[in-house]
Amino acid sequence: MAKPDHLQGALELLVLKILRRGAAHGFAISANIRSTSDDVLRVEAGSLYPALHRMTEAGLLKAEWRVSDAGRRARVYEITGKGRRTLEAAEKRWLSVSAAVAKVLREV
Amino acid sequence: MGIVARVKRTLGIGGNDAEIAEELRFHLDMDMADGHDERAARLRLGHAALIAEDTRAMGVVAWLESVIEDVRFGLRQLRKHPVVMAAIVLSLAIGIGANTAIFGLVDAALLRPLPVTDPDSLRIVEWTHHELPKGVSNVNGDFTRVNSDLVRASSISAGLYRALARQQTSFEPLMGVADPNSLAVAVGSLPAEQVGLQYVSANFFQGLGLAPAAGRAFTAADDRLAQEPVVIVSHRFWRSRLGADRDLSSKIVRINNAPVRVVGVAPPRFFGLQPGQWTDVYTPLAARVAFGQIGSGATTARGEDDSDWWVRMIGRVTPGSSPEAATAGLAAVFRTMAVPQLVSKPGRRGFGGLNPRDETALRMLLWLVGLLLLIVCVNIANLLLSRSVARQRESALRLALGAGRLRIFRQHLIESALLALLGGAGGLVLGYVLAQSIHVMFQTGRSASSAFDLQIDLRLMAFASAAAVAAALLFGVLPAIRAARSEVGDALKAQTRTIANGGLRVPRAFVSIQMALCLTALVAAGLLGRSLENLETSEIGFDRSHLAYATVNPWQSGYDAQRVGQYVARAREAIAAIPGVSGVGPIQVRLLSGNGNFMRARFPGRPAGAEDGFTMNSVGEGLFDILGIPIVSGRALDRSDQTPQTSAVVVDERFALRYFPHENAVGRRFGTSEKDSARFEIVGVVRDSRYSSLRADPQPGVYFPFVPATNRGQVHFAIRASIGAAALAESVRQAAASVDPAVPVTEFHTQTELIDRLLRTERLLGFLFAAFGIVALAVAAIGLGALLAYAVARRTNEIGVRMALGAARRDVVGLVLGDSLGMVAAGVLLGVPAAFLTARMLKTLLFGLDPFDPSTAAVSVAALVATALVAAWIPARRAASIDPMTALREE
Repeated sequence: MAKPDHLQGALELLVLKILRRGAAHGFAISANIRSTSDDVLRVEAGSLYPALHRMTEAGLLKAEWRVSDAGRRARVYEITGKGRRTLEAAEKRWLSVSAAVAKVLREV
Repeated sequence: MGIVARVKRTLGIGGNDAEIAEELRFHLDMDMADGHDERAARLRLGHAALIAEDTRAMGVVAWLESVIEDVRFGLRQLRKHPVVMAAIVLSLAIGIGANTAIFGLVDAALLRPLPVTDPDSLRIVEWTHHELPKGVSNVNGDFTRVNSDLVRASSISAGLYRALARQQTSFEPLMGVADPNSLAVAVGSLPAEQVGLQYVSANFFQGLGLAPAAGRAFTAADDRLAQEPVVIVSHRFWRSRLGADRDLSSKIVRINNAPVRVVGVAPPRFFGLQPGQWTDVYTPLAARVAFGQIGSGATTARGEDDSDWWVRMIGRVTPGSSPEAATAGLAAVFRTMAVPQLVSKPGRRGFGGLNPRDETALRMLLWLVGLLLLIVCVNIANLLLSRSVARQRESALRLALGAGRLRIFRQHLIESALLALLGGAGGLVLGYVLAQSIHVMFQTGRSASSAFDLQIDLRLMAFASAAAVAAALLFGVLPAIRAARSEVGDALKAQTRTIANGGLRVPRAFVSIQMALCLTALVAAGLLGRSLENLETSEIGFDRSHLAYATVNPWQSGYDAQRVGQYVARAREAIAAIPGVSGVGPIQVRLLSGNGNFMRARFPGRPAGAEDGFTMNSVGEGLFDILGIPIVSGRALDRSDQTPQTSAVVVDERFALRYFPHENAVGRRFGTSEKDSARFEIVGVVRDSRYSSLRADPQPGVYFPFVPATNRGQVHFAIRASIGAAALAESVRQAAASVDPAVPVTEFHTQTELIDRLLRTERLLGFLFAAFGIVALAVAAIGLGALLAYAVARRTNEIGVRMALGAARRDVVGLVLGDSLGMVAAGVLLGVPAAFLTARMLKTLLFGLDPFDPSTAAVSVAALVATALVAAWIPARRAASIDPMTALREE
């Protein structure tokens, strides 16, 4: 059931990056992506939650249920060591690819 | 996804589901708290259930849920394309139904063994000899000439049978039976009806391993000449006429007006030893004398006549012995009694119910329905293939939206399975109805005893269904794989802008193949229909219209040789007095009734030729006028000839030409045995006429004077009358009653009825082939129409462009019709050789017709073309009604 992995890669990269700054639940992650990208990037729940579960499965994240300030249970995701290393590599690759793309776009 | 994770999730499905739901609910709440209303929030969230499904991966329960979802989706799809779907289900139902029905008939007629214990150990015993043995006047049953110096026949005399059965040890036991015949049987005060009766040896039921359902089997004491006759009735007769009463002590049936005690009931389903013929009454061999069914050997003495051979033999090989050894042992015993050599053949199917010609035809029919199933499969494949092309886009779209390839594949499979299920159910119903109607058709025009033990064969139905389902699945799956493999972008880009006929090459070829198969069937049906017509209108040598036969049997009512002549004369006068009757006279063998007697001819001063013989009849005064057979030379038989001492006979031209080729036959003498070879003198020659069969090469014929005293048994009156058959039958009954109420009219048939009876097999087969051809054509037309409709839908844009560029509606209609005719033309090219091959196989069934009959072929092709045009008409009209602007805008 493979899907085109460019978009997925990007979503995972963003999730990892946001979680680097601290644990967050799913809604916070999607809100964060939207606000940081000035409303350009919107992640639908239909993509986000499967991605979160997949990344947890792959050991990039760990998840636990915490009680929020409002007293509600929320599933909170945290980045793991493996997640950090994956983030570093992915970030580097993304930057070089996007720089290359930007260069091509500029010069052609 | 790893299998471990999947199992883990499957096991922990409850908690996991709840957790995922809670997480999503949390998301939703947060979104609403963010200032969105619930509806917007839900929209943003997407379909919660879908996310949940994606998130939790697949568990078993979820898998089932998704299957149900797919089934629902499938049903929706079927409803969306009602025409194609109806076409598929209908053709499936026809294919499965026809196969089941025909196989049921063929199985009952040709394949299934007798319903007795261990049918495989049964052997039918026959004999061979270089000619009819000396002293034998008549042989019932099969009598065939194997080659110029060997004949093979199936029956021996009752006396010989009893002696043989007693002395032999090779068979355990050896049973003797007569061919079943039809007799008037009455129960209580109900009017007599014709039922199948069979004379059997006393060991018949025990020998076949059949336990009576009630009462007892026959004992040796029952089979004695002086014994009061008793009968055992069939299970169905017992249930319908005797009220299934287990107490048989007071059960009496009247056979030819004589009361007979019922002593037993045969087991259910036991129809006798002849498939297709249901024997309802069994009685010991010795009872034949009492019932007055003495053979045409016609002796005056009361008792069994050893010159009359009528008992067939069937035996069970003694355990531990081989059929060959047993037959050799039996033959050795028989040689001490008579000259013929005994031979045997397998008896598991009983005595052939169908002649070899019918058998070939039925087997042929079985092949044809197999072919029909093939056509159906091809048709379904075709419809699914052409539809799957349309669905390629849908599949691509679903892939693009994130559906799994496996899921799409499964979706196609489920749809095919749904179709197969619906078609199978339809086939079940249709098969049952068809089988019953074919059986009814088989019985019409035959005696009441004609019946098969017809069963819907579930194994066959399963087979036919499996074949059709396999076809549906196979052709549902191939496109499914293609659909699942399709590249998202490619498929979406391809869109509707397809090139004229591209992608439909295979379906088109399939339609052509179907058309070829249909042509084959139509040619076969046409040939059979035309030869039936030829048979019906063939020259028979006498006037068949307004001719009827009434049958009485004065011997059974106590007339003896002295008084019977008087009775016949008075009955004849009474019938002649009926208004509208222009002539009446007794005749021994009704013409074209399927019965006949063949006798040996010997000529004074000439060596005996092995094949010298003639078909015989004896006729009353004036019967040549009544039948409309002209006298060619000499004179007819007159009143003075009607005595036992007379030597006057009349022969037909064939007899004269064969035995007296260079001289005038009138005045010549011949006999039926060496020592009395000048017994008869030819006084006249009449024109040839058909005797017992419309097909077989006619034999030379001899007409003897009808002498009632020497014609023991039934008396048939040939009646020429200008009034209707029903009125005539009633008048004849009254006339007979006025002469002697104790002698009832047992049979009344018009000549055309008798001829129809001869042709019943041809008619049944002709009908079945025609029905097959029409059904096959209907299926093919459905396929063709659906394919064209689909092609038109696909070419909407192209047609729109054409019309925008100035094509007239007529051109568009022509385009579609031409498309259809192209496929038919290819089908005809393929079908003509196939049709000729089939016709050659049918050769033995044809009459007065060349297998390569050009007019039949022409009519068949015309029917095919007409059907194709009709099938193409609706799609063509739809194409013509396309609005160019709409079509182009859709682009």
